[in-house]
Amino acid sequence: MKIEPEKLKHHNLKPMKCELNYLSKSDGSSILSQGNTVVLVSVNGPLEIKSAYQSMEKATLEVLFSNKGGKPSVADRFKENVIRQTCESAILGCLFPRTGINITIQELENYGGLVACAVNCTCLALLNSGVAMRHVVAAVTCAVDDVGNLVLDPTHEQIQSSQALMYFVFESSEKNMVTGFTEGKFSEDTYLEALELCRSASDLVFKFYREIVSKYCSVIG
Amino acid sequence: MNLSIGDVVLPGDRCDEISKIAVKSKVLIGPGLRRESDNVYITKPGILKKRNPNTFWVDSYQKRYIPSRGENIIGTVIQKAGDIFRVDVGGSCPAALSYLSFEGATKKNRPEVQIGDVIYAKMLVASKDMEPELVCVDSHGKKGRLGVLTDGFVFKSSLSLIRKILNPSCPLIDSLKKEWPFEIAAGMNGRIWIKANSMRETIAVGNAILAAEYLSDEDIKSMCNNVASILAGHLS
Repeated sequence: MKIEPEKLKHHNLKPMKCELNYLSKSDGSSILSQGNTVVLVSVNGPLEIKSAYQSMEKATLEVLFSNKGGKPSVADRFKENVIRQTCESAILGCLFPRTGINITIQELENYGGLVACAVNCTCLALLNSGVAMRHVVAAVTCAVDDVGNLVLDPTHEQIQSSQALMYFVFESSEKNMVTGFTEGKFSEDTYLEALELCRSASDLVFKFYREIVSKYCSVIG
Repeated sequence: MNLSIGDVVLPGDRCDEISKIAVKSKVLIGPGLRRESDNVYITKPGILKKRNPNTFWVDSYQKRYIPSRGENIIGTVIQKAGDIFRVDVGGSCPAALSYLSFEGATKKNRPEVQIGDVIYAKMLVASKDMEPELVCVDSHGKKGRLGVLTDGFVFKSSLSLIRKILNPSCPLIDSLKKEWPFEIAAGMNGRIWIKANSMRETIAVGNAILAAEYLSDEDIKSMCNNVASILAGHLS
Protein backbone atom coordinates (compact mmCIF):
# COMPACT_ATOMS: atom_id res chain seq x y z
CA MET A 1 0.00 0.00 0.00
CA LYS A 2 2.89 2.39 -0.69
CA ILE A 3 2.71 5.24 -3.17
CA GLU A 4 5.42 6.91 -5.20
CA PRO A 5 6.07 10.62 -4.72
CA GLU A 6 3.49 12.38 -6.82
CA LYS A 7 4.26 14.25 -9.98
CA LEU A 8 3.02 17.66 -9.02
CA LYS A 9 2.00 20.14 -11.65
CA HIS A 10 1.31 23.57 -10.23
CA HIS A 11 2.13 23.35 -6.56
CA ASN A 12 4.80 21.49 -4.75
CA LEU A 13 3.96 19.62 -1.61
CA LYS A 14 6.59 17.49 0.06
CA PRO A 15 6.36 13.87 -1.15
CA MET A 16 3.78 11.87 0.79
CA LYS A 17 4.12 8.19 1.58
CA CYS A 18 1.56 6.23 3.47
CA GLU A 19 0.80 2.75 4.73
CA LEU A 20 -2.67 1.84 5.98
CA ASN A 21 -3.46 -0.91 8.48
CA TYR A 22 0.03 -0.51 9.92
CA LEU A 23 -1.07 -1.82 13.33
CA SER A 24 -2.82 -5.18 13.39
CA LYS A 25 -4.86 -4.78 16.58
CA SER A 26 -6.40 -1.33 16.19
CA ASP A 27 -9.60 -0.75 14.19
CA GLY A 28 -7.85 1.63 11.86
CA SER A 29 -4.28 2.85 11.64
CA SER A 30 -1.97 4.61 9.26
CA ILE A 31 1.60 5.85 9.10
CA LEU A 32 2.23 8.91 6.95
CA SER A 33 5.39 10.76 6.00
CA GLN A 34 5.31 14.22 4.46
CA GLY A 35 8.89 14.96 3.56
CA ASN A 36 10.86 14.00 6.65
CA THR A 37 7.97 14.46 9.09
CA VAL A 38 6.50 11.12 10.13
CA VAL A 39 3.36 10.45 12.19
CA LEU A 40 1.63 7.22 13.23
CA VAL A 41 -2.08 7.24 14.10
CA SER A 42 -4.31 4.55 15.56
CA VAL A 43 -8.11 4.79 15.66
CA ASN A 44 -10.34 2.63 17.85
CA GLY A 45 -14.08 2.82 17.90
CA PRO A 46 -16.96 3.19 18.22
CA LEU A 47 -16.52 1.55 21.62
CA GLU A 48 -17.95 1.63 25.11
CA ILE A 49 -16.78 4.46 27.37
CA LYS A 50 -17.41 5.63 30.93
CA SER A 51 -20.91 7.02 31.36
CA ALA A 52 -19.45 10.32 32.61
CA TYR A 53 -18.01 10.99 29.15
CA GLN A 54 -20.96 9.66 27.15
CA SER A 55 -22.98 12.09 25.06
CA MET A 56 -26.63 11.39 24.20
CA GLU A 57 -26.34 13.08 20.80
CA LYS A 58 -23.08 11.92 19.33
CA ALA A 59 -19.90 9.92 19.69
CA THR A 60 -17.31 11.34 22.08
CA LEU A 61 -13.94 11.85 20.50
CA GLU A 62 -10.82 11.31 22.58
CA VAL A 63 -7.54 12.38 21.07
CA LEU A 64 -4.16 11.58 22.59
CA PHE A 65 -1.05 13.13 21.14
CA SER A 66 2.27 11.75 22.31
CA ASN A 67 5.42 13.53 21.23
CA LYS A 68 8.77 11.94 20.52
CA GLY A 69 10.09 12.43 24.06
CA GLY A 70 6.94 11.01 25.63
CA LYS A 71 6.59 13.85 28.17
CA PRO A 72 3.13 15.46 28.05
CA SER A 73 3.17 19.20 27.48
CA VAL A 74 0.79 22.12 27.01
CA ALA A 75 1.69 22.34 23.30
CA ASP A 76 0.49 18.75 22.89
CA ARG A 77 -2.87 19.56 24.51
CA PHE A 78 -3.24 22.37 21.97
CA LYS A 79 -2.57 19.97 19.09
CA GLU A 80 -5.03 17.47 20.57
CA ASN A 81 -7.71 20.17 20.66
CA VAL A 82 -7.08 21.25 17.08
CA ILE A 83 -7.27 17.68 15.83
CA ARG A 84 -10.30 16.78 17.98
CA GLN A 85 -12.32 19.72 16.74
CA THR A 86 -11.29 19.09 13.14
CA CYS A 87 -12.31 15.42 13.38
CA GLU A 88 -15.58 16.21 15.14
CA SER A 89 -16.64 18.17 12.06
CA ALA A 90 -15.61 15.30 9.78
CA ILE A 91 -17.02 12.28 11.65
CA LEU A 92 -20.76 11.54 11.53
CA GLY A 93 -20.86 11.13 15.29
CA CYS A 94 -24.67 11.23 15.39
CA LEU A 95 -24.72 7.66 14.02
CA PHE A 96 -22.96 6.33 17.13
CA PRO A 97 -24.46 8.01 20.21
CA ARG A 98 -23.16 7.10 23.70
CA THR A 99 -19.97 5.65 22.29
CA GLY A 100 -16.39 6.82 22.15
CA ILE A 101 -13.87 7.01 19.36
CA ASN A 102 -10.24 6.95 20.46
CA ILE A 103 -7.54 8.52 18.34
CA THR A 104 -3.92 8.05 19.37
CA ILE A 105 -1.25 10.02 17.54
CA GLN A 106 2.43 9.25 17.87
CA GLU A 107 4.97 11.72 16.56
CA LEU A 108 7.92 9.87 15.05
CA GLU A 109 9.90 12.60 13.29
CA ASN A 110 9.31 16.35 13.20
CA TYR A 111 10.91 18.40 10.43
CA GLY A 112 8.17 21.03 10.14
CA GLY A 113 4.46 20.82 9.39
CA LEU A 114 3.83 18.32 12.18
CA VAL A 115 0.22 19.36 12.83
CA ALA A 116 -0.65 19.19 9.12
CA CYS A 117 0.90 15.75 8.88
CA ALA A 118 -0.97 14.62 12.03
CA VAL A 119 -4.32 15.84 10.66
CA ASN A 120 -3.78 14.12 7.30
CA CYS A 121 -2.61 10.92 8.96
CA THR A 122 -5.61 10.95 11.31
CA CYS A 123 -7.91 11.32 8.32
CA LEU A 124 -6.29 8.34 6.61
CA ALA A 125 -6.58 6.25 9.78
CA LEU A 126 -10.27 7.19 10.03
CA LEU A 127 -10.75 6.15 6.40
CA ASN A 128 -9.07 2.84 7.21
CA SER A 129 -11.27 2.28 10.27
CA GLY A 130 -14.47 2.67 8.22
CA VAL A 131 -16.08 5.15 10.61
CA ALA A 132 -18.87 7.02 8.81
CA MET A 133 -17.68 10.48 7.83
CA ARG A 134 -19.31 13.62 6.50
CA HIS A 135 -16.27 14.49 4.38
CA VAL A 136 -12.51 14.02 4.39
CA VAL A 137 -10.15 16.76 5.51
CA ALA A 138 -6.75 17.88 4.26
CA ALA A 139 -4.29 20.11 6.10
CA VAL A 140 -1.76 22.32 4.34
CA THR A 141 1.01 24.44 5.87
CA CYS A 142 2.21 27.75 4.49
CA ALA A 143 5.05 30.03 5.66
CA VAL A 144 5.78 33.69 5.02
CA ASP A 145 9.52 34.16 4.52
CA ASP A 146 11.56 37.19 5.68
CA VAL A 147 10.84 39.21 2.52
CA GLY A 148 7.11 38.46 2.58
CA ASN A 149 6.85 35.70 -0.03
CA LEU A 150 4.63 32.71 0.55
CA VAL A 151 6.26 29.30 0.86
CA LEU A 152 3.91 26.34 0.49
CA ASP A 153 4.63 23.33 2.71
CA PRO A 154 7.93 24.75 4.08
CA THR A 155 10.91 22.65 5.08
CA HIS A 156 12.52 22.76 8.51
CA GLU A 157 15.07 25.41 7.43
CA GLN A 158 12.43 27.57 5.76
CA ILE A 159 10.32 27.52 8.94
CA GLN A 160 13.31 28.62 11.03
CA SER A 161 13.85 31.70 8.84
CA SER A 162 10.15 32.54 8.32
CA GLN A 163 8.31 35.40 10.00
CA ALA A 164 4.91 33.73 10.03
CA LEU A 165 3.48 30.23 9.79
CA MET A 166 -0.10 29.33 8.85
CA TYR A 167 -2.01 26.08 9.01
CA PHE A 168 -5.25 25.50 7.13
CA VAL A 169 -7.56 22.49 7.06
CA PHE A 170 -10.11 22.09 4.25
CA GLU A 171 -13.01 19.70 3.76
CA SER A 172 -13.44 17.79 0.53
CA SER A 173 -17.01 18.51 -0.58
CA GLU A 174 -17.10 22.34 -0.80
CA LYS A 175 -13.40 23.06 -0.12
CA ASN A 176 -14.39 25.23 2.85
CA MET A 177 -11.88 25.91 5.56
CA VAL A 178 -12.68 23.95 8.74
CA THR A 179 -9.65 24.85 10.84
CA GLY A 180 -7.09 27.60 10.58
CA PHE A 181 -4.46 28.94 12.94
CA THR A 182 -1.37 31.07 12.58
CA GLU A 183 1.86 32.08 14.28
CA GLY A 184 3.82 35.30 13.71
CA LYS A 185 2.81 38.52 12.01
CA PHE A 186 1.52 39.15 8.49
CA SER A 187 -0.89 41.43 6.62
CA GLU A 188 -4.52 40.61 5.90
CA ASP A 189 -3.83 40.34 2.16
CA THR A 190 -1.04 37.84 2.79
CA TYR A 191 -3.43 35.77 4.86
CA LEU A 192 -6.08 35.70 2.14
CA GLU A 193 -3.48 34.92 -0.51
CA ALA A 194 -2.11 32.06 1.60
CA LEU A 195 -5.65 30.77 2.18
CA GLU A 196 -6.30 30.53 -1.58
CA LEU A 197 -2.88 28.99 -2.24
CA CYS A 198 -3.46 26.32 0.40
CA ARG A 199 -7.02 25.72 -0.80
CA SER A 200 -5.82 24.85 -4.29
CA ALA A 201 -2.93 22.79 -2.87
CA SER A 202 -5.38 20.76 -0.76
CA ASP A 203 -6.54 19.15 -4.02
CA LEU A 204 -3.23 17.31 -4.12
CA VAL A 205 -3.87 15.84 -0.68
CA PHE A 206 -7.39 14.74 -1.67
CA LYS A 207 -5.98 13.18 -4.82
CA PHE A 208 -3.44 11.33 -2.70
CA TYR A 209 -6.25 9.98 -0.43
CA ARG A 210 -8.12 8.71 -3.48
CA GLU A 211 -5.02 6.95 -4.82
CA ILE A 212 -4.39 5.27 -1.47
CA VAL A 213 -8.02 4.12 -1.17
CA SER A 214 -8.14 2.83 -4.77
CA LYS A 215 -4.94 0.84 -4.12
CA TYR A 216 -6.40 -1.01 -1.19
CA CYS A 217 -9.87 -1.33 -2.71
CA SER A 218 -8.39 -3.26 -5.62
CA VAL A 219 -7.08 -5.95 -3.26
CA ILE A 220 -9.99 -6.42 -0.85
CA GLY A 221 -12.28 -7.17 -3.80
CA MET B 1 -17.51 15.19 -9.73
CA ASN B 2 -19.43 12.48 -11.50
CA LEU B 3 -19.61 9.09 -9.82
CA SER B 4 -20.55 5.87 -11.51
CA ILE B 5 -20.94 2.27 -10.33
CA GLY B 6 -17.63 0.55 -9.57
CA ASP B 7 -15.78 3.81 -8.85
CA VAL B 8 -13.59 4.36 -5.83
CA VAL B 9 -15.44 6.80 -3.58
CA LEU B 10 -14.45 8.86 -0.55
CA PRO B 11 -16.64 10.34 2.20
CA GLY B 12 -18.18 13.63 1.12
CA ASP B 13 -18.57 12.68 -2.56
CA ARG B 14 -22.04 13.44 -3.91
CA CYS B 15 -23.76 10.80 -6.02
CA ASP B 16 -26.07 12.56 -8.46
CA GLU B 17 -26.85 9.35 -10.33
CA ILE B 18 -28.76 7.89 -7.37
CA SER B 19 -30.75 11.06 -6.75
CA LYS B 20 -31.68 11.19 -10.46
CA ILE B 21 -33.07 7.63 -10.35
CA ALA B 22 -34.81 8.40 -7.06
CA VAL B 23 -36.97 11.02 -8.77
CA LYS B 24 -38.56 8.34 -10.97
CA SER B 25 -38.54 5.21 -8.85
CA LYS B 26 -37.84 3.77 -5.43
CA VAL B 27 -34.17 3.48 -4.44
CA LEU B 28 -32.61 1.53 -1.58
CA ILE B 29 -29.38 2.91 -0.17
CA GLY B 30 -27.24 0.65 1.98
CA PRO B 31 -24.10 1.02 4.09
CA GLY B 32 -21.79 3.88 3.22
CA LEU B 33 -24.50 6.06 1.72
CA ARG B 34 -26.52 8.81 3.35
CA ARG B 35 -29.36 11.01 2.22
CA GLU B 36 -29.27 14.71 3.01
CA SER B 37 -32.36 16.53 1.68
CA ASP B 38 -32.40 15.64 -2.06
CA ASN B 39 -28.78 14.56 -2.38
CA VAL B 40 -27.04 11.29 -1.63
CA TYR B 41 -23.60 11.49 -0.04
CA ILE B 42 -20.92 8.86 0.49
CA THR B 43 -19.87 8.25 4.12
CA LYS B 44 -17.33 5.44 3.77
CA PRO B 45 -14.30 4.93 1.53
CA GLY B 46 -14.63 2.03 -0.87
CA ILE B 47 -16.21 0.93 -4.11
CA LEU B 48 -19.72 2.00 -5.10
CA LYS B 49 -21.84 -1.05 -5.93
CA LYS B 50 -25.30 -1.56 -7.40
CA ARG B 51 -27.72 -4.45 -7.56
CA ASN B 52 -30.86 -4.38 -9.66
CA PRO B 53 -33.33 -2.93 -9.14
CA ASN B 54 -31.87 0.25 -7.68
CA THR B 55 -30.07 -0.96 -4.58
CA PHE B 56 -26.83 0.89 -3.86
CA TRP B 57 -24.10 0.48 -1.27
CA VAL B 58 -20.39 1.01 -0.68
CA ASP B 59 -18.08 -1.96 -0.22
CA SER B 60 -15.51 -0.88 2.35
CA TYR B 61 -12.85 -2.24 4.65
CA GLN B 62 -13.75 -2.33 8.33
CA LYS B 63 -12.73 -4.17 11.47
CA ARG B 64 -15.10 -2.78 14.11
CA TYR B 65 -18.59 -4.30 14.08
CA ILE B 66 -21.66 -2.07 14.16
CA PRO B 67 -24.78 -4.17 14.89
CA SER B 68 -27.38 -4.31 12.18
CA ARG B 69 -30.69 -6.15 12.09
CA GLY B 70 -30.97 -9.65 10.66
CA GLU B 71 -27.26 -10.49 10.62
CA ASN B 72 -25.93 -13.78 11.94
CA ILE B 73 -23.15 -13.20 14.44
CA ILE B 74 -20.84 -15.14 16.74
CA GLY B 75 -20.54 -13.88 20.31
CA THR B 76 -19.24 -14.95 23.70
CA VAL B 77 -21.46 -15.04 26.79
CA ILE B 78 -19.90 -12.68 29.34
CA GLN B 79 -22.62 -12.38 31.97
CA LYS B 80 -25.82 -14.00 33.20
CA ALA B 81 -28.17 -11.27 34.41
CA GLY B 82 -31.56 -12.55 35.61
CA ASP B 83 -33.47 -13.72 32.56
CA ILE B 84 -30.97 -12.56 29.93
CA PHE B 85 -27.45 -13.40 28.91
CA ARG B 86 -25.06 -10.63 27.95
CA VAL B 87 -23.14 -11.52 24.82
CA ASP B 88 -20.01 -9.79 23.61
CA VAL B 89 -20.35 -9.35 19.85
CA GLY B 90 -17.47 -6.92 19.30
CA GLY B 91 -19.72 -3.87 19.03
CA SER B 92 -19.77 -0.81 21.26
CA CYS B 93 -21.92 -2.52 23.88
CA PRO B 94 -22.78 -6.13 24.71
CA ALA B 95 -25.96 -7.61 23.20
CA ALA B 96 -28.83 -9.10 25.22
CA LEU B 97 -29.97 -12.69 24.64
CA SER B 98 -33.10 -13.81 26.48
CA TYR B 99 -33.05 -17.39 27.79
CA LEU B 100 -36.54 -17.82 26.30
CA SER B 101 -35.26 -17.24 22.78
CA PHE B 102 -33.84 -20.77 22.44
CA GLU B 103 -35.71 -23.64 20.82
CA GLY B 104 -38.00 -25.39 23.29
CA ALA B 105 -37.05 -23.11 26.18
CA THR B 106 -39.67 -22.36 28.84
CA LYS B 107 -39.54 -20.67 32.24
CA LYS B 108 -39.04 -24.13 33.79
CA ASN B 109 -36.78 -25.55 31.12
CA ARG B 110 -33.80 -23.20 30.87
CA PRO B 111 -31.22 -23.69 28.13
CA GLU B 112 -27.81 -24.84 29.22
CA VAL B 113 -25.62 -21.83 28.56
CA GLN B 114 -22.55 -21.03 30.65
CA ILE B 115 -20.40 -17.92 30.83
CA GLY B 116 -17.69 -18.21 28.18
CA ASP B 117 -19.82 -20.21 25.74
CA VAL B 118 -19.66 -19.24 22.08
CA ILE B 119 -23.05 -18.50 20.55
CA TYR B 120 -24.16 -18.32 16.93
CA ALA B 121 -27.19 -16.03 16.93
CA LYS B 122 -29.24 -13.63 14.85
CA MET B 123 -29.54 -9.88 15.51
CA LEU B 124 -33.20 -9.21 16.23
CA VAL B 125 -32.99 -5.59 17.33
CA ALA B 126 -30.14 -3.33 16.33
CA SER B 127 -30.55 0.39 16.63
CA LYS B 128 -28.04 3.08 17.46
CA ASP B 129 -30.10 4.17 20.47
CA MET B 130 -30.79 0.78 22.02
CA GLU B 131 -28.96 -2.23 23.32
CA PRO B 132 -28.79 -4.85 20.56
CA GLU B 133 -30.85 -8.01 21.08
CA LEU B 134 -30.07 -11.51 19.86
CA VAL B 135 -32.20 -14.61 19.27
CA CYS B 136 -31.27 -18.24 18.73
CA VAL B 137 -34.51 -19.24 16.99
CA ASP B 138 -36.16 -18.28 13.71
CA SER B 139 -39.72 -16.94 13.41
CA HIS B 140 -41.12 -20.52 13.52
CA GLY B 141 -39.45 -21.19 16.86
CA LYS B 142 -36.93 -23.59 15.31
CA LYS B 143 -33.25 -23.25 16.07
CA GLY B 144 -31.98 -24.15 12.60
CA ARG B 145 -28.21 -23.73 12.78
CA LEU B 146 -28.28 -21.17 15.58
CA GLY B 147 -27.34 -21.90 19.18
CA VAL B 148 -24.31 -22.71 21.31
CA LEU B 149 -21.20 -23.75 19.37
CA THR B 150 -19.40 -26.53 21.23
CA ASP B 151 -15.69 -27.29 20.88
CA GLY B 152 -13.99 -25.76 17.86
CA PHE B 153 -11.85 -22.67 17.58
CA VAL B 154 -12.82 -18.99 17.23
CA PHE B 155 -10.70 -16.29 15.66
CA LYS B 156 -11.21 -12.71 14.52
CA SER B 157 -10.89 -11.17 11.09
CA SER B 158 -11.96 -8.03 9.27
CA LEU B 159 -15.63 -7.62 8.34
CA SER B 160 -14.80 -7.43 4.64
CA LEU B 161 -13.11 -10.85 4.80
CA ILE B 162 -16.32 -12.36 6.23
CA ARG B 163 -18.36 -10.84 3.41
CA LYS B 164 -15.79 -12.12 0.93
CA ILE B 165 -15.85 -15.75 2.08
CA LEU B 166 -19.65 -15.78 2.44
CA ASN B 167 -20.07 -14.52 -1.12
CA PRO B 168 -21.39 -17.49 -3.15
CA SER B 169 -18.93 -16.68 -5.94
CA CYS B 170 -15.91 -17.01 -3.62
CA PRO B 171 -14.12 -20.35 -4.26
CA LEU B 172 -12.46 -20.57 -0.83
CA ILE B 173 -14.91 -22.74 1.11
CA ASP B 174 -15.69 -24.84 -1.98
CA SER B 175 -12.00 -25.63 -2.53
CA LEU B 176 -11.31 -26.31 1.15
CA LYS B 177 -14.26 -28.64 1.73
CA LYS B 178 -13.05 -30.92 -1.06
CA GLU B 179 -9.72 -31.45 0.74
CA TRP B 180 -10.80 -32.47 4.25
CA PRO B 181 -14.00 -32.30 6.36
CA PHE B 182 -14.64 -29.42 8.77
CA GLU B 183 -17.46 -27.33 10.21
CA ILE B 184 -17.47 -23.56 9.91
CA ALA B 185 -19.63 -20.68 11.14
CA ALA B 186 -18.85 -17.15 10.02
CA GLY B 187 -20.36 -14.28 12.00
CA MET B 188 -20.91 -10.96 10.26
CA ASN B 189 -19.23 -9.37 13.29
CA GLY B 190 -15.82 -10.54 12.11
CA ARG B 191 -15.56 -13.81 14.03
CA ILE B 192 -15.13 -17.24 12.54
CA TRP B 193 -15.68 -20.54 14.34
CA ILE B 194 -14.15 -23.71 12.89
CA LYS B 195 -14.12 -27.32 13.99
CA ALA B 196 -12.10 -30.02 12.25
CA ASN B 197 -10.99 -33.53 13.16
CA SER B 198 -7.56 -32.53 14.41
CA MET B 199 -5.74 -29.46 15.67
CA ARG B 200 -3.56 -29.42 12.55
CA GLU B 201 -6.55 -29.34 10.23
CA THR B 202 -8.23 -26.61 12.29
CA ILE B 203 -5.16 -24.40 12.06
CA ALA B 204 -4.89 -25.10 8.32
CA VAL B 205 -8.48 -23.92 7.72
CA GLY B 206 -7.90 -20.82 9.87
CA ASN B 207 -4.70 -19.87 8.09
CA ALA B 208 -6.23 -20.49 4.66
CA ILE B 209 -9.12 -18.13 5.49
CA LEU B 210 -6.87 -15.38 6.83
CA ALA B 211 -4.54 -15.73 3.84
CA ALA B 212 -7.47 -15.31 1.43
CA GLU B 213 -8.07 -11.69 2.46
CA TYR B 214 -5.88 -10.07 -0.20
CA LEU B 215 -5.96 -12.82 -2.84
CA SER B 216 -7.86 -13.07 -6.11
CA ASP B 217 -10.17 -16.02 -6.85
CA GLU B 218 -7.49 -17.79 -8.91
CA ASP B 219 -4.85 -17.34 -6.21
CA ILE B 220 -7.28 -18.64 -3.57
CA LYS B 221 -7.69 -21.92 -5.48
CA SER B 222 -3.93 -22.49 -5.80
CA MET B 223 -3.40 -21.46 -2.16
CA CYS B 224 -6.00 -24.06 -1.05
CA ASN B 225 -4.16 -26.73 -3.07
CA ASN B 226 -0.90 -25.71 -1.42
CA VAL B 227 -2.37 -25.91 2.06
CA ALA B 228 -3.85 -29.33 1.29
CA SER B 229 -0.57 -30.73 -0.04
CA ILE B 230 1.40 -29.41 2.94
CA LEU B 231 -1.15 -30.95 5.30
CA ALA B 232 -1.09 -34.29 3.45
CA GLY B 233 2.72 -34.28 3.46
CA HIS B 234 2.86 -33.90 7.22
CA LEU B 235 0.23 -36.51 7.90
CA SER B 236 1.77 -39.27 5.85
